Amino acid sequence: MALRELSSLEKFVGLKRQKKISTQGERKVPVLQNNNGSSLIGLVTISSHLVSEAKKTELLGESVEQRAVVQQWLEYRLTRLDNCSQDEVNIILTELNEYLVDKVYLAGNSITLADALMYYGIHHIISELAVQQKEKYLNVTRWFDHIQHYPGVRHHLPPVIVLRNRVYQSNQH
Amino acid sequence: MAAGTLYTYPENWRAFKAQIAAQYSGARLKVASSPPAFTFGQTNRSPAFLSNFPLGKVPAYQGDDGFCLFESNAIAHYLSNDALRGSTPQARAQVLQWVSFADSEIIPPASAWVFPTLGIMQFNKQATEQAKEEVKRVLAVLNQHLNTCTFLVGERVSLADITVVCSLLWLYKQVLEPAFRQPYPNVNRWFVTCINQPQFKAVLGEVKLCEKMAQFDAKKFAENQPKKETPLKKEKAGKEAGKQQPQQQQEKKEKEKKKEEKKPAPPAEEMDECEAALASEPKTKDPFAHLPKSSFVLDEFKRKYSNEDTLTVAIPHFWENFDREGYSIWYSEYRFPEELTMTFMSCNLITGMFQRLDKLRKNAFASVILFGMNNSSSISGIWVFRGQDLAFTLSEDWQIDYESYSWRKLDVDSDECKTMVKEYFAWEGEFKHVGKPFSQGKIFKKACATEDAHAKVLNFFGSSELLPENKKVVYQRRASRSACAPGGATSPV
Ligand SMILES: N[C@@H](CCC(=O)N[C@@H](CS)C(=O)NCC(=O)O)C(=O)O
Repeated sequence: MALRELSSLEKFVGLKRQKKISTQGERKVPVLQNNNGSSLIGLVTISSHLVSEAKKTELLGESVEQRAVVQQWLEYRLTRLDNCSQDEVNIILTELNEYLVDKVYLAGNSITLADALMYYGIHHIISELAVQQKEKYLNVTRWFDHIQHYPGVRHHLPPVIVLRNRVYQSNQH
Repeated sequence: MAAGTLYTYPENWRAFKAQIAAQYSGARLKVASSPPAFTFGQTNRSPAFLSNFPLGKVPAYQGDDGFCLFESNAIAHYLSNDALRGSTPQARAQVLQWVSFADSEIIPPASAWVFPTLGIMQFNKQATEQAKEEVKRVLAVLNQHLNTCTFLVGERVSLADITVVCSLLWLYKQVLEPAFRQPYPNVNRWFVTCINQPQFKAVLGEVKLCEKMAQFDAKKFAENQPKKETPLKKEKAGKEAGKQQPQQQQEKKEKEKKKEEKKPAPPAEEMDECEAALASEPKTKDPFAHLPKSSFVLDEFKRKYSNEDTLTVAIPHFWENFDREGYSIWYSEYRFPEELTMTFMSCNLITGMFQRLDKLRKNAFASVILFGMNNSSSISGIWVFRGQDLAFTLSEDWQIDYESYSWRKLDVDSDECKTMVKEYFAWEGEFKHVGKPFSQGKIFKKACATEDAHAKVLNFFGSSELLPENKKVVYQRRASRSACAPGGATSPV
């Protein structure tokens, strides 16, 4: 899972040559093997490294504030989203939905690594939501739809159908 | 990729649409928004402008290839790329849908509500309240749409977003205070995201959202109404009496004329909302303000030059009074003489430059001469500028032509300078350094545009008496309410 995600990310940031990435241990932590023999461990570390190497550092945030918020969501992804229980799913969706009321992107006014990694990490949850649920978490759905349509992001993941016309109007308020 | 010039007055939200589109598409767009390149109310009423743009309205676009367009939406469309226009037939139609929506649903109530707060339209409680309701309705429609959509059409910024954002700009800046906009979170999110995209920011700068709803600015309105009394009275009388008897009208006119004659300097015409908006902008500062007063009165010399003999009166007067600290004398030569073909075109080159430098007239005098004949000519001239530097560098707007010329400051005491001043001012002599015969001369001196402008407006409307009312008709159509609103709405004036 992390491997496919990192390979999609490589394409998104425009890196041509694929890196040597494998996983280690029971929790399948990704490891990047550098040419000089050194290695990097962990999803966030490796993806930040890929972004820098592709010279797309704007994806890490352009202002001090945006960079901090990007880090916040990368941490959220690892500590809250990954391996969360079914109960936690609803809490996460509620939190995100609230957060995205007044935002198009997770950090600042442009797409960042936070959007990409949160999108990869939450895809399996969104794709299993019923239409009614998607309407309930309207802001998450809208954000998700925007990111999955963002040029170059989706790659290994199937598109999730999002209805633009609401079916369950009663959920609106 | 399109490249050209956009004529507009500064900070015109209609022009912003085209400017932002150009930011996205990479179209090379020069903006001519201040003198000498463009003076609102003058340039757009000149015959040259009207022959390209018959309405005389701005924004107006002229491509480097000569292609001309008016109507801001058409200009923005032209300067867009395919991504902005929509990539499928459906998307293109949706873009057009939102553009039309902006014009017919947003602009009328937005103007009716915002203009009085800018002091450029009389306040009318009923009209404002009605406008507020219409704005609410429009915001609700947008809010509903933006529930599930990030941008108005598709998943990226399009001309729809650009147009609707620009149409909402004044509302968000002036009157949509937090409590008023709070019920429309989706619109707020979308609006803030858009204005923070680098391409919007490059044109709009930092947009400060309204904190407290602006109210009618009576003071500014009064200031903006040079002939406040007269038209208001007229309007009232007209309403009360229904149709006025022609005779009464005649009398009234007579009276008003007298009244006007008493006033020292009656303004040429009543301002419309655009001019008023302009007037309420901070004035551009005088680029010569930093110079100490000079004893040399340029205007006096110009009068002598115009009315009396050049060799025996004007030039002696010039040298007697010239202030070498406050002024400098320059020789300039057109750098690309090989490009000069027909003499009439070369003359247009000179007069065109003079026009663009209109604002400099108070602080400069020049005689520029075309030498030679078709396909073998040169242009050179003598310029007298306020200050010691080339005045062109003082203002960006003056730099359009000056790079096409070489400039050399003359030593005021030199024989060369004395000779050149004499020959160029008098349009006669050897012109040794040129080597071509004198063909035509042009003098840069008097600001004639102001007088002309009034005359032209009078022509256009038939008589000055008719002018204010005619303008008002335009005003109402443009600003009050959508044409299909149920009748009975009060006019904003
Ligand atoms: N529908 C036109 C409106 C243009 C317009 O009304 N321009 C005004 C400035 S706000 C103008 O140039 N008025 C000059 C005049 O009427 O003489 C557009 O969007 O371009």
